Amino acid sequence: MRTFTQIYATLRRKNRGQYALLSGCCFFSVLLITAYVCMMRSPTILAVLPEGGDSRKQVMMIFILAVIGCSVFTTYAAGLFFRQKSRETGVFLALGASRWQLKRELRRDLTVISLGSCAAGAILGSPLAWALWQIFRALVVDTQEMSLAFAPAAYTYALAFAVYVTGMLFLLGGRSIRKTNIIDVISESHRSEPIRAVKRWYGWVGIALLVVGGFCGYIAPAVFVRGLHWYAPAGLSAIFYLPVLVGVYMILLHTVANGWGGKRRRYKDIISISQMRFQGRQTVRNMLVMTVLIAGAYFASFYTPMLGTGAMMGYDARPVDYAYHFRADQDIPREGEVRALAEQYGVTITSWAQAPMIRLAVDGNRHVETEGPLGTTWENVYYAQAKSDLFLSESAYNTLTGEHLDLQPGQIAGIMDATGDGQGVFGGFVTLVTNTITGESWPVTMTDDLRNDLLFGHYVVDDADYAEMTDRLPDDWREQMVFFNVENDEETYNFAKALFYEIVDRSGSEVALYDSYDPIVREIEIAETGEYFLDPATSDKYDFTPIDYTQRDSSNFRLYWQYMPQFRVLDKADFVKTMAVFLILFVFIAIVCFAAVIVIAFTRCLTIAITNRQVYDDLRHLGAPREYLFRSARSQIRRVFLVPMVTGTALIYAFYAMIMFFNDNRLTIRELAGLSSCLLLILVVSAILYGVYRLTRRDVCRRLGI
Amino acid sequence: MLTVKDLHKSYQVGNTTYEVLKGVSLTVDEGAFVAVMGPSGSGKTTLLNCISCYIPADRGSILLGSTELARLDEDALAMVRNQKLGFVFQDFLLLDGLTVRENILLPAIIGGTVSATTETRADQLCDVFGISAIRDKYPAEISGGEKQRTAVARALINHPLLILADEPTGNLDSKSSRAVIHSFEQAKASLGATIFMVTHDSFAASFCDQVVILRDGVVWQTLNKGTLGRNDFQDQLLDAIREMGKE
Repeated sequence: MRTFTQIYATLRRKNRGQYALLSGCCFFSVLLITAYVCMMRSPTILAVLPEGGDSRKQVMMIFILAVIGCSVFTTYAAGLFFRQKSRETGVFLALGASRWQLKRELRRDLTVISLGSCAAGAILGSPLAWALWQIFRALVVDTQEMSLAFAPAAYTYALAFAVYVTGMLFLLGGRSIRKTNIIDVISESHRSEPIRAVKRWYGWVGIALLVVGGFCGYIAPAVFVRGLHWYAPAGLSAIFYLPVLVGVYMILLHTVANGWGGKRRRYKDIISISQMRFQGRQTVRNMLVMTVLIAGAYFASFYTPMLGTGAMMGYDARPVDYAYHFRADQDIPREGEVRALAEQYGVTITSWAQAPMIRLAVDGNRHVETEGPLGTTWENVYYAQAKSDLFLSESAYNTLTGEHLDLQPGQIAGIMDATGDGQGVFGGFVTLVTNTITGESWPVTMTDDLRNDLLFGHYVVDDADYAEMTDRLPDDWREQMVFFNVENDEETYNFAKALFYEIVDRSGSEVALYDSYDPIVREIEIAETGEYFLDPATSDKYDFTPIDYTQRDSSNFRLYWQYMPQFRVLDKADFVKTMAVFLILFVFIAIVCFAAVIVIAFTRCLTIAITNRQVYDDLRHLGAPREYLFRSARSQIRRVFLVPMVTGTALIYAFYAMIMFFNDNRLTIRELAGLSSCLLLILVVSAILYGVYRLTRRDVCRRLGI
Repeated sequence: MLTVKDLHKSYQVGNTTYEVLKGVSLTVDEGAFVAVMGPSGSGKTTLLNCISCYIPADRGSILLGSTELARLDEDALAMVRNQKLGFVFQDFLLLDGLTVRENILLPAIIGGTVSATTETRADQLCDVFGISAIRDKYPAEISGGEKQRTAVARALINHPLLILADEPTGNLDSKSSRAVIHSFEQAKASLGATIFMVTHDSFAASFCDQVVILRDGVVWQTLNKGTLGRNDFQDQLLDAIREMGKE
């Protein structure tokens, strides 16, 4: 061995564990980010998640959390690598190596590590995403729209992250060599990482900040929009969540530096607490990343149980088995044809109710937006014809529901959903109703709301008023609502599907409309801006998928078609298929985040084991029994696992419950059921994580010889 | 060989400045074995680190042969450290991933001067310091005394003008300490090495030709062994230390 390069290679071989850890961390981070971004930017996913919709925002938010987590994680791994290497560097410098010599060798190492691990991660990221997706398709659900395609543009995100990893490695590497004071470099690997004195109030103040930040962050957008009439930039609202991060950091810091046991446990936990303090900064940073990732993972995980539980309860709560409506100008199966089809499938129809509805314009306020130097502001402007709604006569309502409603002339009643959940969505105050064809208007007064899931959002008027309002309305402003029940509803899936297909096949292109399409709003928008965003012609511009009858089994069609029938048996059976892309995407995100948490926790615990080996030897020499050593090691590992998990889980669960509560200032039965399902999920995931904790603990104890 | 003139060094901690060296001057002759003693905080290690060019002095002059170290740039300093100085540290600072022989050869490898002659010299140094039997072992497999003798051999591999040793016996038992001091004596006698050693240990210092005693950042006294025996010189050192304690 005669050259410096050979010496470096020898040391590299000897320290291959350190190299493997750094390369592994970089590889894992890039792999994870690439897989995530491939999925997130996949045309398959983008077609399902509406632009600007909450789902897409949630996916992006969790992606940002994952990026932050992976960045901190890789930076930590790099810091650890250079710290371990600093002793070598110091000895080389002390013995007369020039910084240029060291930089040259280190640069070579880092080039191999960064390019190798980043390239491997980036290359394997999309196959990983694809493989996971195919496993879901094979084991869970498969639909025509689940054929996964990747957009090459997604790789720009992965490339950006790989560039960050590479840049960070070279930056930290260069800095570790640039340090001018050799004495510091030589002693760096022995330097402890003390936490400055942490007062005991840190823990409680942390919890307070957590609660305040969570509340302020959630409430801020509503205050901006409703109070200040201002659409604040998303980043500004996010600032109000910052106390949450500070709070979590303080809680973790307090847990690591002081523990929650109070003074009476001071001596019991003295070894584990003092050792955790020794590695404080890095441990707390890791725990913070884990907390954030766990919160993100659960946020994604809760989507399925919340949606599933709420939807299933909603289907069960419907007053009839089958409901569908259609425009009067459409050739949709009427009673005779439906009964014939039912007979064909051996289904007995036990009740049938059909009633007409009309579409009328209603008055109300519209948000008129103004672009200003501080962004978009809005003001309420009254329109005599603000939008349109469907109206039933009181006798039609009674026919459909079996109730005995009797309204006075000039009165109208809005129909809420059965539980009243739609309070925020519906419940506008109408004072004027207009027949858009004749232009005739009627002042009305609203009476008590009615409740019916299948007629949610419609209005009921007095029979005489209805007859007057209907005058000269053409068929495209009239509709028919059909309710019917069948025997053994749960066994009528084939009939339901056949009827659904029949309705779709016989619907004209003029009714291939989104559920929120409104002819009155369209008129206003066209008059004011020259276009209406829900017109099929503008679908490309506003990045949404037009309603397409050939895609009648897709999520987009079933969720958003204005005339989508509501057949309980069909909706329940096809729920997973309809929501497949949403469900699988969020499950995928949860798996990715939990995997990152497990890797971080495992490597952190191993680092603790490696760093503390000497301490355990010393304790052994001082006569500590195996049980004492085991308790001390367990206490540290438990803290690394337990604290972020409890904090992250409690944080996100409370946040979720808060969102549910503040939707309408109460928790409905469906929301409570959904939250219970989430609790069940937490139990299952916690059991899995406990298994990982036990495996990690066993490995650490083995390394410590306990 | 080494001339230090009016050397000053201070550290800034917060708003407070601690002046550690307040004008140290001393001379080390070629082939001499010189020790620096003094109580904790007297500036011994700071003086050694300034001479080693690990930390820059605030002012003053450090002349190694005819080279003014304070005026050298980074690359020239690296070359001085590699070619003209040899280092022995309290913590040995051997690289765990290299064998004893590879550790000894390290300064030559860094300097790009490894040849068959250098390898032969490494083997000879192993013989001189009694570590031939362990030359293919790794640091983790040998004792503290053996590690320090390896470090002394490493310090000598490039024929340095001066060996700088920082508490070389600080982490060793008495037997290993004696072996290390013996290796310094051997280096001086058979290889003509000049040694500048910082130590707390009056026993180790009693083997030196000259002992410089620092107090509060200045040279308080310089004792020369002259014709005194080791025991007498150690007594003289202890007397001087006692006297310093009285003031």
